[in-house]
Amino acid sequence: MTGLFKSIAAAAGFAAMVASPVLASAADLPSNIRLVIGSKSTGGDTYQNSAIVAEALAKKLDINVKVDAVGAGEAFKALQRDSRGTTIMIFHDQSYLANLYGVRGYDDIFENYVVGPTVAINPGNAYLVAKNSPLQSMEDVFAAAAAGQRVRVAIQAGGVSEIGFSAMKNAAKVMNPGSEANIVPVNTGSQADKNQLMFDGQADVINGSVQANEQFTQLAADDQKAMRFVWLTAREETIAQANPEGMGNTNRDELLAFTTPNVSVTFDGSSDFTFDKEFFLLFNKDMDAEQIATIDNALKEIYAEGEIQKTQKASFFIPNYKPQAEASAYLKAKRDQYRQVIDAIATN
Amino acid sequence: MELLSILTPLFFGLVAAGTVIGIIFGAIPGMTATMAVAVCLPLTYSLGLENGLALLLGLYVGGISGGLVPAILLNIPGTPSSITTTLDGYPMTQNGEGERALKIGITSSLVGGLISLAALYLFAPALADFAIKFSYIEKFLIIFFALTVMAALSNSLLVGIFSGFLGVFISLIGAYDISRGGNGELRLVPEFLEYYLEGGFSLLPVLIGLFGLSTILIDAEDGMKEGKGLSGVKIGGKPFKLSVFKGQIINLIRSSSIGTFVGILPGVGGSAASILAYSQEKNFSKNPEKFGKGAPAGVIASESANNGLTGGALVPLLSLGIPGDSTTAILIGAFTLQGVQVGPLFIGNNPITWDAMIIAMLAANIIMFLVMVLAIRHIAKVVTVPKNILFPIILMMCVVGAYTINYGVMFDVWTLLIFGLFGYLAHKIGLEIAPFIIGFILGPSAEIYFVKSLESFGTLSIFFTKSWIAALLWVLIVLSIAFSVSVARKKKRMADNMDA
Repeated sequence: MTGLFKSIAAAAGFAAMVASPVLASAADLPSNIRLVIGSKSTGGDTYQNSAIVAEALAKKLDINVKVDAVGAGEAFKALQRDSRGTTIMIFHDQSYLANLYGVRGYDDIFENYVVGPTVAINPGNAYLVAKNSPLQSMEDVFAAAAAGQRVRVAIQAGGVSEIGFSAMKNAAKVMNPGSEANIVPVNTGSQADKNQLMFDGQADVINGSVQANEQFTQLAADDQKAMRFVWLTAREETIAQANPEGMGNTNRDELLAFTTPNVSVTFDGSSDFTFDKEFFLLFNKDMDAEQIATIDNALKEIYAEGEIQKTQKASFFIPNYKPQAEASAYLKAKRDQYRQVIDAIATN
Repeated sequence: MELLSILTPLFFGLVAAGTVIGIIFGAIPGMTATMAVAVCLPLTYSLGLENGLALLLGLYVGGISGGLVPAILLNIPGTPSSITTTLDGYPMTQNGEGERALKIGITSSLVGGLISLAALYLFAPALADFAIKFSYIEKFLIIFFALTVMAALSNSLLVGIFSGFLGVFISLIGAYDISRGGNGELRLVPEFLEYYLEGGFSLLPVLIGLFGLSTILIDAEDGMKEGKGLSGVKIGGKPFKLSVFKGQIINLIRSSSIGTFVGILPGVGGSAASILAYSQEKNFSKNPEKFGKGAPAGVIASESANNGLTGGALVPLLSLGIPGDSTTAILIGAFTLQGVQVGPLFIGNNPITWDAMIIAMLAANIIMFLVMVLAIRHIAKVVTVPKNILFPIILMMCVVGAYTINYGVMFDVWTLLIFGLFGYLAHKIGLEIAPFIIGFILGPSAEIYFVKSLESFGTLSIFFTKSWIAALLWVLIVLSIAFSVSVARKKKRMADNMDA
């Protein structure tokens, strides 16, 4: 009988261990953390940046951190379900921009989650034209729109891809009211689809990135695939922090030629619109504040040590650690600024 | 010299390990090559680029190849691209030719893999340039062409077409995906299911439900006598001889080329490769009536095409930076994690990595062939395992596979059960599963390319006038439909004669 009780107790103990996350220490983090990301792609910047942060956190806290590329919808659901700290999330500005654009499934992150520390910027958000296009610059784009020519811009609706497009429309409206109607979106999906629209002559401008499109800019003009950067949305000081060799065959100085002030997409007639794609953590609203602080402090130490910055820069990310409270306030202010751009063109 | 320094025992050991693990993943219903590559992707951090790619390419080739095992022995496609393998592979097993079918499938896989690898090595940049001639219009027409296969695969023309359109209809449930250019709004979803059906029904749970669970339910209906193997399966049929490939060279080359060609077109989907190859072989065959009843030519077409895909899908990845299928979409992460750009200059800028990849693919194909040939005799015995032991194991694997496919979504297990029951009921009322699943797989792509074509060009006439490729595809579509109608009429006449 005693043996039976021992077996039951052992089984119950095992079940309890399996059912609840193993804790690294009593009021501390679980020893296994699932880091969900707002992208389904393992080839994109969100996965790459998250993998760098996950590896550093795992080493620093001596825990396991597994990155799961589940996509925004599933990631938010997973985060909502789990307040124990076993699921955390990394995403970027898409998380609030999609809410501003009214995309279904995107709640207000500042109300429904704890917005955590920022970790990096991808400075590569770009707009490109075909190399043999008559539109060779953003000035040409705005001039064409002002002259009544329709300029088709291939974007993915409702987020990072669209905010630059909204800024173009806003700038056209500021410079030549009414001309913004000639800048029209071609809603599409992946980078492959955007590129294909350009190859087919169905888009005059496409949204892309330095990482994905730089090699296309190196091709000869008579190649159907050849492209040219016309605008990088990042701030000048953000690109200036990149390694001097830049990306591929395009060095940092050449990249700076496509940012403000060399390329102007005006915000209000006196200052230029800029957009840095920033990555940050998100936590369940009811997650223990001490657990969040543990992660935040660990990141603070990781960035103070300086190694992660080298890895991020080698992968064309700009390190950008901001502590949780500061990051939350900063991102909220950033959201409010972009709301103005979206509201301005919505009142057309 | 530098290449030789990469080709270490570790490099080949990783290719071999990846291939074996991939075969195991592919052979388990619900586990796929994509999943195998995703699980092992973080290892590339510590392995470095070339060694990491050796492992991942082994997983890719092994995973695609392993799918034929359950397709042939259990009528459950291990991967979506093995659906057409079930059509003749399983009937061969029922005729006692399971081992023979496996050997035919493995040999065809090897040939398909090698032909596509040669195409990749010799013509990658040129093929990529050709691939970009395919806009939304041409891609829609290819999908439409593949959809016409529904009729060719049906026992009854009208029921087959109805089943196929039902598959398309159900595939459209969920949000009109914003990441593919949609508006993100939900369609055909009851309010109380919005939380679960936002992304629609996942393909893998639907597939293993329709083929795996429903097969178990149908077979279980015959009774589960202890110690008895699968119903209707004979043992000790015709042995395998290489002469089976006599007269199949054109089939092998055509099907491998179709697989490679579909692979180079991003967004068309790997399943379309084997579906198109199978239907073309049936269309060109002197004995189309033998298909679906255990024709080796059907297994050859399906398996050479789905392995032909492996080299093809790497063409846009390495020449345009665009993955050709779901597995290479994960594979691109290996480059990203190492900070290596893939795009039109990749091959020229990274000749050592490029050569290492080709050698890894070649080694993976050969290792796949050797491992599977050696293991076949033992694997084929699975059909002799008593049902009361085999079925619970299959069911457990299906449930685990469904649960893990999207990193732990319980609704996927419900999807498996719902479609298992649906498959069972479909069998009872005479709906056809093969056209249904083809409609389900191709439906979302057909929709998006159709809508985007109209959004871009604004007129239906563009589908006929866009390019010579579009015109050629229309010819193939018309021929495919005419063939299906002719076969259906012939079948009806034969049935009428028999009745008389």
